[in-house]
Amino acid sequence: MDQARYAELFRIESREHLAEIDAALLVLEQTPDAAHIATLFRGTHTIKGMAGAMGYSSVEQVAHALETLLDRLRSGVQPVNADVIALLFDGSDALRITLDDAANGRSVSTSTAVSAMLQRLAAPHQTPISSSAFRTPRAVPGLQHHSEPGRDFVEIFGAVGVPAGETPATPLSDARVVEIRLRADCQLKGVRAMLVLARLNALGTVRTLTPPQDVWQEERFDGVFAATFVSSADAAQIEAGVRGAGDVARVSVRTPEPARPARGVGSDAMRTVRIDLRRLDTLLDLVGELVITRDRLLREADAAVDKGADRALARAAHDTARLVSALQDEVLQARMVPVGQVFDRFPRLVRDISRDLGKDVQFTTEGREIELDRSLLDAIGDPIVHLLRNALDHGIEEPETRLAAGKPPTGQLVLRAGRDRAAVVLQVEDDGRGIDRAAILLRAQDQGLIAPDVTALDDDELLAVLAHAGFSTARAVTSISGRGVGVDVVMTRVRALGGTLELETLEGEGTVFTLRLPVTLAITRALLVQVAGETYALPAAHVVEVLEPAAGTIVTSLAREWIQVRGELLPVIRLRERFGCPPSGDEAFMAVVEASGKRTALAVDALITQQDIVVKTLDVVRGSAALFSGATVLGDGSPALIVDIGSLSG
Amino acid sequence: MSRTVLICDDAIFMRTMVGDILQQAGFEIVGEAETGVQAVEKYKLLRPDLVTMDIVMPDMGGIDAVREITKHDSTARILMCSAMGQQALVVEAIQAGAKDFVVKPFQPSRVLEAVTRVLAA
Repeated sequence: MDQARYAELFRIESREHLAEIDAALLVLEQTPDAAHIATLFRGTHTIKGMAGAMGYSSVEQVAHALETLLDRLRSGVQPVNADVIALLFDGSDALRITLDDAANGRSVSTSTAVSAMLQRLAAPHQTPISSSAFRTPRAVPGLQHHSEPGRDFVEIFGAVGVPAGETPATPLSDARVVEIRLRADCQLKGVRAMLVLARLNALGTVRTLTPPQDVWQEERFDGVFAATFVSSADAAQIEAGVRGAGDVARVSVRTPEPARPARGVGSDAMRTVRIDLRRLDTLLDLVGELVITRDRLLREADAAVDKGADRALARAAHDTARLVSALQDEVLQARMVPVGQVFDRFPRLVRDISRDLGKDVQFTTEGREIELDRSLLDAIGDPIVHLLRNALDHGIEEPETRLAAGKPPTGQLVLRAGRDRAAVVLQVEDDGRGIDRAAILLRAQDQGLIAPDVTALDDDELLAVLAHAGFSTARAVTSISGRGVGVDVVMTRVRALGGTLELETLEGEGTVFTLRLPVTLAITRALLVQVAGETYALPAAHVVEVLEPAAGTIVTSLAREWIQVRGELLPVIRLRERFGCPPSGDEAFMAVVEASGKRTALAVDALITQQDIVVKTLDVVRGSAALFSGATVLGDGSPALIVDIGSLSG
Repeated sequence: MSRTVLICDDAIFMRTMVGDILQQAGFEIVGEAETGVQAVEKYKLLRPDLVTMDIVMPDMGGIDAVREITKHDSTARILMCSAMGQQALVVEAIQAGAKDFVVKPFQPSRVLEAVTRVLAA
């Protein structure tokens, strides 16, 4: 038994269930209904089962207590009220704590807290219970079963070995597991499944169905189901019978092995596998190297053909290159996950914070299906938390204040994901008071960040001030935000990810923070340029155009150099100067780049080429003049620094 | 000898369409019914090899017609013709004794597959 692997699986799965539990609790708080109690019960029940299998007794205890309470809610013995909801939230927290402790191999340090929680959870039971029937969870069809294929089949194996409380009428050797998948284009899958069931019933006795039949008529039934089936018919007869029902894509008939361990059973119905993230990272790294080698191979092959080598060599090289590109796309795709996975944890967070602050907030998420590279997804969590906290703490007003300002008492907070060409756009929008420009200006002038004669700040300038490390306007330091680590942390993180941050705010109306991120971190298109004999990479997403300035088009004004490009006067930045290299003063090329809506012309010595580069992150000290967002290794093995366009113009 | 079919649907359009699909496949359309009552009467009279049955019809719906027909002849081979969103009704029809179903709009290949299954059962 590979205990570590199970522990990992347990950790991942229990987190998912906890997220589900929290989501269901949030809904239940608004509208108590049986379906969400059922979801809670199911999640808790599954965690209890898994914890039992792992020997995590504290988790099991908490889950059991929660489950017992939920069962009372389900049966109507205990009415759903605010106290119960609060208790459930606390119970879910206790579950999370014990889960974390267990998963990290900590002996239960929280045992006092846990036993207190257990007592609280048990408290409602002290009201008289007339019948012992309430003590045992009632067998409600559908509740004990999940529709997740892998686990379902595992449960079935258990059920076949020991049909609960009954002696098998037929010898066990005749028991089979029949797994059926209906064709994807099958219409009314639930009805078709019924027809399959009728065929099975004609051949023998169906013991259990997974998912149970009452789920079949639901929208989410995907036409994959399994039956434990006792019959004297052979596998071929069973398969033919099932196929006779029509629209069957696949049937498998197997004899379960009672001694088989529950875990690690491969199921034909399983269409996904969990892969260790490190494997995917390694795979991506290798593909990255392959991409670099591909470019070199193409160059070498073309050169060889020029020198008289057989054209077949070039063709083979180009075929290989095409395959490598396809492989790269696939690997990148395999790493994509919907942002919804991260969004899941925010409703609970927003609820807790708005409660603490005494604010009434409706939180909505949009674009949960938008996909992002796995590594980015992990990295965006913290910045979003900061922005949400800022919005709750500083943006959205107390209900009375809102009413006085003629606004509805409930504030709106929206977390939105969307695609914009090669970028993923994340927005945190609130309809709160907006940012007080005058106050920020005053404070910034106090701290010497802004010249005393400046009278107004536009959105970009405002953002620049807010993003200045250590700047804070919070009148009192709250536990939520205002410790001076808010926007600057977000800005640093977002830049490190190769993204940009934008701000729009209107006093009295609200604030929108917009994060623009590359879809994937790992491989990006870049323009390679030469500055003082070294090669640098400019991320192509930021490059608007390149040009060869004619003599005399660069003018000096206000102690800065400018160049006129199609009627627009752009500031010129000489990279030699910026990188501390000896100036030449007559760089031959300009790359016009855009960041945060601002265009700048970068003067470089030479343009080399445009190509895909594999991004390696650099450890940059926060707050230092980070001119580079990363590094890459070029086809010839030499390194090149990736210029952080966002930090150049700032 | 070709197989005989009774087509039950209150819409001429649907009857024509189903008729064309089956005729092209070599079936003989021996009758058509516009209501459930007609469907039951014509079934008794014609004893077709196959019945296609719409669910919603005036004067006794398709499901009740299925019940009546199977009460009379438990071996009747009835194919339900349903629209999207009638899942619950199709379930009821199957429980009443219908052998299979197709979903409108009809794809000839699906209709013929279903017909073949119903006749093979």
